[in-house]
Amino acid sequence: MVNTYGKLRIGVVGLGKMGVMHSCLLSTFPNVEVAALCDKSRLMRTVAKRAFQKAVVTGDLQKFAGLDLDAVYVLTPIPSHYFIIKELYAKGIAKNVFVEKTLSQTYSKSQELSEFSEKTGGANMVGYMKRFGVAFNQVKALLDKQVLGELRSFEGYAFSSDFADVPDGSTVSAGRGGVVEDLGSHIVDLALWLFGDLNVTSAKVNSRIAPTSEDDISFSVVGQDGLEGRFDVSWRRSGYRMPEFGLRIQGTKGAVYANDDEVRLELSGSPPKSWYRLDMNDNVGYFLGGAEYWRENKHFLECVSSGLTPESNFKSALKVDQLLDQVRRQISR
Amino acid sequence: MSNQKLSLLVGDNPFHGISHLSQVRARERNEQGSTEHAAHLVELSLQNGADGFMFSVDETTLSILAQLRQSGSELGRLYAIAPYAYEYVRKATQTGGVAGLAKTLAKELIFSSNIKVVASNAPRILRFDLSALLKTYVAYELSRIRSVCGKKVRLDAFMLHEIITDMALALNMEQLCKGYINFLESKHVRPGFETRNFPYLVDKFSEWGLDFSKLTLTSSFNKVGFQMCPSQCECEAALERAEGAEVIAMSVLAAGYLKPTEAIDYLAKLQGLSGLVIGVSKERHATETFRVFRGIAQ
Repeated sequence: MVNTYGKLRIGVVGLGKMGVMHSCLLSTFPNVEVAALCDKSRLMRTVAKRAFQKAVVTGDLQKFAGLDLDAVYVLTPIPSHYFIIKELYAKGIAKNVFVEKTLSQTYSKSQELSEFSEKTGGANMVGYMKRFGVAFNQVKALLDKQVLGELRSFEGYAFSSDFADVPDGSTVSAGRGGVVEDLGSHIVDLALWLFGDLNVTSAKVNSRIAPTSEDDISFSVVGQDGLEGRFDVSWRRSGYRMPEFGLRIQGTKGAVYANDDEVRLELSGSPPKSWYRLDMNDNVGYFLGGAEYWRENKHFLECVSSGLTPESNFKSALKVDQLLDQVRRQISR
Repeated sequence: MSNQKLSLLVGDNPFHGISHLSQVRARERNEQGSTEHAAHLVELSLQNGADGFMFSVDETTLSILAQLRQSGSELGRLYAIAPYAYEYVRKATQTGGVAGLAKTLAKELIFSSNIKVVASNAPRILRFDLSALLKTYVAYELSRIRSVCGKKVRLDAFMLHEIITDMALALNMEQLCKGYINFLESKHVRPGFETRNFPYLVDKFSEWGLDFSKLTLTSSFNKVGFQMCPSQCECEAALERAEGAEVIAMSVLAAGYLKPTEAIDYLAKLQGLSGLVIGVSKERHATETFRVFRGIAQ
């Protein structure tokens, strides 16, 4: 893509943790200009004006119209994704859209957004950045080579201590929605990426912080050729300084265990083999928050420039929302 | 490596339950930890060749320092890093995001920081001038350190944590960095920066005309290129360009992937390092690691 500015002009909506991090990372790409920022908080807009002196900073998304933006990053809380993305497409603000996971709050809204994006064209991407982690890419390579033989079962987990110390009855987790979207969506996306379509057979939720909060969720799935899987997701686990995502996959020839940092392969009749991040070339052009974020941004920007379809797009993210929808239906039974 | 004697510093990552190699390993290790044990490991390291302690400013390390001071231990050289990012990410989670964190932190700064700093910067703080906010914040962290180490404590350097350094670099915030340096110099503390993007920092600082000889820089240097972005080769080249800076190498054992004896040869060949920081989680590490490195540090 060539524009009159010689650089990709990016708009960012939402200046929370992810908004600040992506805005900084984008600023390190020589072919990118962070041209516009939008946030409803006056405090954050004031700070943003100091930090991004050449950018348009506004609390009104409508002001993005006419700024000739090549792409917009939507980094707001999940419930707002649907309205913001619809507005971006409807007003022709940008046809290339990056949104932090999940695509929207419900499967039906995500379906609408996916249809909208198909009509509009352009590159669209959902920030399932675990696909850009070296450990999970190593697992993908092993599975593609069928090192484990036929896949029999897997267990996936997503744990954090974000609300481990929060007293019962607190509503502090409410702003983050439910744990299954917040943390669970990452591990579900990885599973769909590695194993293909899955269907939920049972699900169980625990509300520990407040009666309406979803703090621990476990659910079972079946996949192709009799593959069985189980997920455990919680943001109240003690000892998880950083959110951690992991998989254990069992095949006819052995098993592989992987989390963000390491991969361990155990094949029948062979000594176990381990790889750490540094064995898998984890260095990136600019490190901020995690190597995965830089790779994810680089990939999206390349797709915007070349017109290629991003790895984690609205269509693949729709499958995550579909599976989460199945989890919700199972819970409400 | 230059001819001058290398500083050997005890790092605090293991005391926070951090392992950049494996979170699983860190969790297992952290279950055995206590402030008393951590203080004992620092003391043991100092007795076996370490020259000082590099620490993130938070409740855990301040308690370790208080414990060391109470037991009459010689603290050696002290290098502080702030903010302890994890503490603030947790606060952001529990106060409703970045805006919530900013409000909470603003209150803490105003009520606990050096009143002179707050007063002299008040109009700019109210306008959310980032430079004034950073100065007030640094004064706040210095006051936290002095509250446990005593007002006369000599800090060898105060370093901005990588998350702030690397955001400031990404946004080309020259005035913010210069204001921070000037403020610390006015407090007679050597300014420093921790970064995960060493070549980028060296190039930016050169572009801004900063005097490297007045700065302490901390970044990863190790035999296997672990956390050396964008590449080991570029980090080594940047080390030569940062001539005059006090450069402290971290992750020298690649978070435990390398044994001290495996790590030494590479570090010994590097030109421009002034010190090494190494975390220890066991008594054996505290006694053996610094003895091994002391051999090349003379």
